[in-house]
Amino acid sequence: MRALAFAWRSLLRRGGRSALGIVGIAAAGALMFDMLLLSRGLLVSVRELLDAFGFDVRVLASEGIPQSRLPIEHALETARALSALPEVASAVPFRIGEAEVAAESERPDEVALFAVGATTRRIWTVVDGRDLSGREDDALDVVVNRRLAERMNAGPGTSLELRGRCSATPSILPPVTVRIAGVATFPFDSGAQLTMASRFEVLDRLCERPVGEADLIMVASRPESGPDAAVDAIRKARPDLYTFSNDEVIERFERVGFSYFRQISTALAIVTLSFGIVLITVLLTVSVNQRLGEIAALRAIGFSRHRMAADVLWESALLVGIGGLAAIPLGMALSIWLDAILRSLPGVPATLHFFVFEPRVLWLYAGLLTGVALGAAIYPMWLVTRLPIAGTLRREFVS
Amino acid sequence: MVSAGASRVRSIGRVLFVIGLIVGFGHALPSAITVNDTQPDPPAVLFSRQLLAARHLQVGDVVELSGDPSGANPQQFRIAGSYEPMPDPIRVTSERLEARLHLPDLLRLTGDPDDPQDDDSLSAINVKLRRPEDAEAFARDWSARVPAIGVRSSSGGETEHNPFEVLSRFHQAIASLTVITGAVFLLALMVLLADERRETVGTLRLIGLTRARVLAQVLVEGAIIAGAGAIFGVALAALTEGVFNAFFQWRYDTSLIFVRVTPSIAWRSIAVAIPLGMAASVLASWALVRSNTLTLVRR
Repeated sequence: MRALAFAWRSLLRRGGRSALGIVGIAAAGALMFDMLLLSRGLLVSVRELLDAFGFDVRVLASEGIPQSRLPIEHALETARALSALPEVASAVPFRIGEAEVAAESERPDEVALFAVGATTRRIWTVVDGRDLSGREDDALDVVVNRRLAERMNAGPGTSLELRGRCSATPSILPPVTVRIAGVATFPFDSGAQLTMASRFEVLDRLCERPVGEADLIMVASRPESGPDAAVDAIRKARPDLYTFSNDEVIERFERVGFSYFRQISTALAIVTLSFGIVLITVLLTVSVNQRLGEIAALRAIGFSRHRMAADVLWESALLVGIGGLAAIPLGMALSIWLDAILRSLPGVPATLHFFVFEPRVLWLYAGLLTGVALGAAIYPMWLVTRLPIAGTLRREFVS
Repeated sequence: MVSAGASRVRSIGRVLFVIGLIVGFGHALPSAITVNDTQPDPPAVLFSRQLLAARHLQVGDVVELSGDPSGANPQQFRIAGSYEPMPDPIRVTSERLEARLHLPDLLRLTGDPDDPQDDDSLSAINVKLRRPEDAEAFARDWSARVPAIGVRSSSGGETEHNPFEVLSRFHQAIASLTVITGAVFLLALMVLLADERRETVGTLRLIGLTRARVLAQVLVEGAIIAGAGAIFGVALAALTEGVFNAFFQWRYDTSLIFVRVTPSIAWRSIAVAIPLGMAASVLASWALVRSNTLTLVRR
């Protein structure tokens, strides 16, 4: 009988104990699988968000946290100059602000406002009505997200009165009446966020800020050049600006902003690995200790040391393999729950996920489980191979 | 906190620039801090420990600070001391390059010389109430009285969308999964233990111990094993707490406390572990206790 079949029958003979081992591995494996999903999930998700609309380079006036960044002066002219570079397909200046919109409720609602330089490339998708246009008559047009449209009971063609919120307090400038051109989905919207996009003219009227300033310029490189060439060209043309490709943004994010989730996933993956190894080691060791006489008898009738060790290894592989397979759907289900908890963090875009599946997770998971199966089998295999045949037979059967 | 509305965004922008210099990217603006020893008594400034180290400065040095990104119109300050920035979990990954100036010095540094009112603009005023429980009412009252300012209570962040509340729920979810995994592990061990003691249980039954008495013994054993395990776990966590904190404080250059084993956490761990251990013991031994006595002693 082959070692695999022999190991399978051994496990069946001790069905309850084997089932416990499999359940234990499934529970530990599900947690480990989730930690692997978490270990790079946010990075993968952020990357997808950054790449979603074809912009692969970001240009800023300074580094640092968004609240302390300097604005890019003469942004429209700068964007035009960058667009003229042969490596650049388009460059779009953005300003990010806040406004208040009067609602029927007691307090006005706060709205995130994205002002964009006139261009055809957008970071939103219009689902109703039309997009912003470059025409002079449409300077005060806006597109709003579905939540804002529903909140204000408004749609394309409706007017809204906005008041700027340029610092921590409402602006003292008079309110501005804007017209909703369309309803759009915004990839960076958080769960409850009210969002609006407009041309620069709206923010210029709402806030006392120098005309033509932008917070960032988003650049799409030409496919034949690629983002690295575009970054080099922009750095050469405008060394005073800070230019980053999406790869560099992700690398920076991975180094500082993402380290918490990487560390917690590493720590918990180690804990669950240890759980798995100890659990299977204990089960196999007890099993071997209870079968010392049987093992000695098998050795006596000609089973080699290697063959007996292979039996133990196969038992370990079967327990870990079956438990590990069961852990995948369990882990996927748990990851939905854990992801929902983390996605309730304030300001997290609704399209962002913390637990993201990618094929490499499966390979890594399989590798770690292989390590568990091998690690757990080492001590019981050592017991089996070092077992003195005559002495054990005498002790187990004669005495 | 009371935020006074400033119409001069430019002015606030400059204040933000200095705060930006302070909090985030002093390294991006090397011209803004220049060591100089020429003037005798410049005003005092405090630098964060991190800023002193990053700029290779020391207490007593005279530096030039500018409110302008280009470094124009610098003013001299003498570093009177250094301080450890208030630990802030939200900014744990940021370099704490910060300075503290006297308010008149900051206003002079960042104000617009052409605007006489600029010296009278602030971004925020912190208010400490005699009765902290009145904070919400105070904020509502002042928001209504002075519409141009925003007033909000610095407490009252215990909502379900508070980042720390969300992270706490995530940690609890992970902890509950770990406990479930541990419970399965414990059950497996208890099954093995019960199996090993089949004959002992049979003998105890033969000498007259009732099923309830044997079950009580199993329960107590489970409680002792789980309790000892929980105490060992708490002791291990308390012993390694310092190591974790030292590592992460070194990693992020902060004085934040990352891990703290409080009495409440310790008691909660023990309170979860003991019932789990007892339940696992009973589950594992149930079939054994219910078995025929002669079967147990293999007769």
